[in-house]
Amino acid sequence: MTSTFTTTDASRGIRHRRPRRSVAPVLVPAVIWAGVAGVLALWWSDTSSVVGPAGWITGAGRITGLLAGYGCAILLLLMARLPLLDHTVGTDRLARWHAWGGRCTISLVLAHTLLIIWGYSLTSHTNVVGQTSTLVLHYPDMLKGTIGFLLFLATGVLSARAARRRMSYETWHYLHFATYLAVFLAFGHQLSDGADFVGNRPARIAWYTLYVGVAALVAWYRFVLPVRRGMRHRLRVAAVHPEAPGVVSVHLTGEHLDELGGVPGQFLRWRFLTRELWWTANPYSLSAPAHPRHLRITVKSAGGHSSALARLRPGTRVWAEGPYGGFTARRRTVPKVLLLAGGVGITPLRTLFETLPGQVTLVYRARHAEDLALRGELDAIAARRQATVHYVTGGTAGYSSSLTARGLSDMVPDLAAHDVYLCGPPGMARTATEALRRAGVPARRIHHESFEF
Amino acid sequence: MSDTTAGLRHVEHVMGSVFSFDIRDEPTPAVRRALDEAVHHLHRIDEVFSTYRPDSCISRLGRGEIRREDCPSEVLEVLFLCAHAARVSDGWFSIVPEGTLDPSGLVKGWAVEAASRILHEAGAHDTCVNGGGDIQIRGRAAPATPWRIGVAHPLRPGELVTVVTAHDDLAVATSGTAERGAHIVDPFTGRPATALASLTLVGPRLTLTDTYATAAFARGDGARDWLEGLHGYEALAVTPDGGEWRTTGFHRYGS
Amino acid sequence: MRRAVLVGTGSSALVVALLALKPHQIPGPDTSAARSPVPSHTSTGASTGTSAGTGTYTGDPVDTRYGTVQVAVTVTDGRITAVKVIQAPDQNGRDQQISSQALPQLTQEAIKAQSAHIDAVSGASYTSQGYAQSLQSALDQAHV
Repeated sequence: MTSTFTTTDASRGIRHRRPRRSVAPVLVPAVIWAGVAGVLALWWSDTSSVVGPAGWITGAGRITGLLAGYGCAILLLLMARLPLLDHTVGTDRLARWHAWGGRCTISLVLAHTLLIIWGYSLTSHTNVVGQTSTLVLHYPDMLKGTIGFLLFLATGVLSARAARRRMSYETWHYLHFATYLAVFLAFGHQLSDGADFVGNRPARIAWYTLYVGVAALVAWYRFVLPVRRGMRHRLRVAAVHPEAPGVVSVHLTGEHLDELGGVPGQFLRWRFLTRELWWTANPYSLSAPAHPRHLRITVKSAGGHSSALARLRPGTRVWAEGPYGGFTARRRTVPKVLLLAGGVGITPLRTLFETLPGQVTLVYRARHAEDLALRGELDAIAARRQATVHYVTGGTAGYSSSLTARGLSDMVPDLAAHDVYLCGPPGMARTATEALRRAGVPARRIHHESFEF
Repeated sequence: MSDTTAGLRHVEHVMGSVFSFDIRDEPTPAVRRALDEAVHHLHRIDEVFSTYRPDSCISRLGRGEIRREDCPSEVLEVLFLCAHAARVSDGWFSIVPEGTLDPSGLVKGWAVEAASRILHEAGAHDTCVNGGGDIQIRGRAAPATPWRIGVAHPLRPGELVTVVTAHDDLAVATSGTAERGAHIVDPFTGRPATALASLTLVGPRLTLTDTYATAAFARGDGARDWLEGLHGYEALAVTPDGGEWRTTGFHRYGS
Repeated sequence: MRRAVLVGTGSSALVVALLALKPHQIPGPDTSAARSPVPSHTSTGASTGTSAGTGTYTGDPVDTRYGTVQVAVTVTDGRITAVKVIQAPDQNGRDQQISSQALPQLTQEAIKAQSAHIDAVSGASYTSQGYAQSLQSALDQAHV
C-alpha cells in the first residue's frame, strides 16, 4: 500500500511528522490548580488568627468564597472557545472539565453562603434569619450577590441529570446562559465584602485582572470574532440534499472559507440566521474537506435543531465559529489507521478518510443498509486510494454482532498496531472501545470524539 | 494614689438596706459627732417613712388614720418634693405607685442627701455617702483626686458598666432590677417595669436624681428622650439584652 | 456519586487543615499594623484638674485597613477615666455591626483595667443580704 497525499494536504503543506503526545491536557489543569493554590495563599497571608467557633466558621466561609470566585472565572475561561485550548485539549474534554468544575463551584457557592451567614450570626449574637436579612439588605452589593446566588442554585438544579432528561438540549442551553448574569452580579460583592480584599491592593488588582481578562476573552472569542467572521465569510446555505433516511447534507457557500482553517476532522459551530435557529450555535463536523468557497456538513435529525436544518432555504445566512476539535491527523502516532464510524459519526471520518495519509481502513456501522450515508463517496475514495471499507449493518440489541474483538480483528488484520479514530453514538462508542481494548489496541491509540456535551 | 488612712468610714444597716459613709476629711470631734447625728437621722426617717412598719406615720397617713397636718414637717417636705417630681416626670414618678401611699422612691435619696448635708455643715467637705447604691458626693477623694464611682453591671455580677468621675459635688443614682427583681412598677399600669435592666442618673443632688432615676426606669423606652431634655442630668442605661445607651452629655462623667 | 463524596470530603479536610494551622489567639499588638496614636494635649471644659497627667488627649487619626480610627482619652491624675471613640469604620453594614459590638467592649476593657481604684459603687438598690455580696461591701471592708 502506498500512501497517497491528497491535493488538500499538499496545498496546506502538512507534513506527516511524528506527532508528540500533547502536553496540554496535563499543563492546563496544572496551571488551574496552581491558581487554586494562589487563592489559598491569599487567604493564608491575610489571616492572622482563627479565634473561636465564629472564627472557624467565618474562616471556612471565606475560603470557600474565594475558591468559588476563582472557580467562576475558570469556568468561563474553559468555555470561552479559545482556539489554543480547544485545539490542544479538545472541545469535549473542556466541556467535561467545565461540567465537573461547575458542580464543584456551585457546591462551594452554597457552602460559602451558609457558612458566612452562620459565622456572622455567631459573631454578632443574632439569629440566622436576622443576620441573613442584614446581610442581604445592608451590605454593599449583596442584593445583587443574592440574586446571583439564586441563579447559581437554579442552574445547579437544572443541570442535574433528572432535570435535563425532562427538557430539550436547546432549552437547557438557553437557561444555562443565566450563569453569565450570575457571575456578573456576584462579582461586586467579592471585592466590597471580601475580607481578604479589604485594604489589600495587590489582591484586588489580581482579581480584577483575572475577571477582566476572562471577560475580554469571552467577549472576543464568543461574540466579536463570530460576528467578524460572519461578515467576512458571508456564508449562505446553497442547497440541502438528503443522504439517507433522516440524514441531510447542507451545502454552504461563502468567501475566504479556507481562512476558517477547518482541518479534516474538525467541526464548526453553526448559527443559522432563521427565526427558530438564530439564538444557538450548534456543532457539526465538516463532512468534506474545506474548500475556499464551499463547505459541507452532514446532519442526522436527532433533536429540534438538527431537524430544522432539513427545512433550511437556500440563501439563508449563516455564521460559523471555529474551527474546533482535536479529532485530527495530529493525534496519529503510527502509520496504520482504522476509522471506525457509527451512524452519523461518519461525518468527520469521511473527511479524514479522504485526507489522512498512510494505510487507512474504514469500518462503517449502521443499523440498516440505507442508513449508510455518503456511501457512494466512500466507495469512490476507497477506490482512489486503494483503501478498504467495511460496511457493517444489522443487529439491534447493542452492536455485539460485529463490534467484538474477534469481529474487528477479522476485518482489520494487525489491529493492535493501528491508531483508531472512533466516532459514533455513546453506546456504540463504548462497545467499540471495549472491543478494541480486548483486541489489544492500547488506550492511547484510541482517539474518540464525543459530541455529548 | 494612696488610699487615705486618715478619714472616717462607717457602715449602717437601716431602712432595710445598708448605708456606707466615706469621709476623707480629718476626723475631728465635730465630724465624729456629725456622723453620729447623721446615723440617728437615718433611723428617724425610717421610723417616720417606712411602709413596712404599720405604725409609721406614712402608713397611718396612707390608711387615712391621721391627716397631713398631724405629721412631722419632714413628711410635708417629702410630699411637696414628690408632687414636684411627679410633675417634672410626667407622672412616671408617682407617690402612689401601686395605689397606696409610698414615697420610698424619693425618701432614700432624700435621706442620703440629708446625711451628707449634716456632715458638710460640721466641716466634712470631702464625703461620699452611699445609701443602698445611690450616692451623694461632695468635694474630693484626695487632694486633686476626684471621686470615682463604679456603676455595677446589672447582668454581669461583679463587673462594672463604666466609671463615673465626679469633678464637683455629684449625685449618682441607679435604678434597676438586679437584686430585688422587678420591684419598680409602671404607675400607669401597675405592672413591673421591664424595658430596661438598669438606669444610672447623674445630677447635682441625690433627692431628685434618685427620684428621676426611678421615674426614668419605670418609663422605659420613652426615658431617653425625656432625659435628654432634662437639664442638668445625664444618664446611662443598660437594656436587658446587654445593649447600652447614654445621653449626649454623659461622656463628661464617664465613658 | 462516590467520587463526589470523596472530593467533598477531601476539600472539607483541606479547609479544616488550613484553619487549624492558624494560631487561635488574637495576637498581641502588631507593630507592623497601625502605629499607636501620638497624644496631643487638648484641654477640654470638663477637665478642671491642673496637675500633670490630667486632661483629655485626642489621638491622631490612624488609618487601618478597614478605615480610620480616632480615639480620645480622658486622663485624671495619671489614670484613664474615660474613652471616647471619635472616628471608627462605619462605611458599610459590616463595619457598623462590628463597631456597635466591639467599641463598647473595648472601652469597657480600658476602664475595667483600672477599676481597682474606684471609691464606691452605684447599683440597683440592695438589701442587707445583697450588700454582703456587693462590690461596695468589698470596698467598705477594705477600709473600715
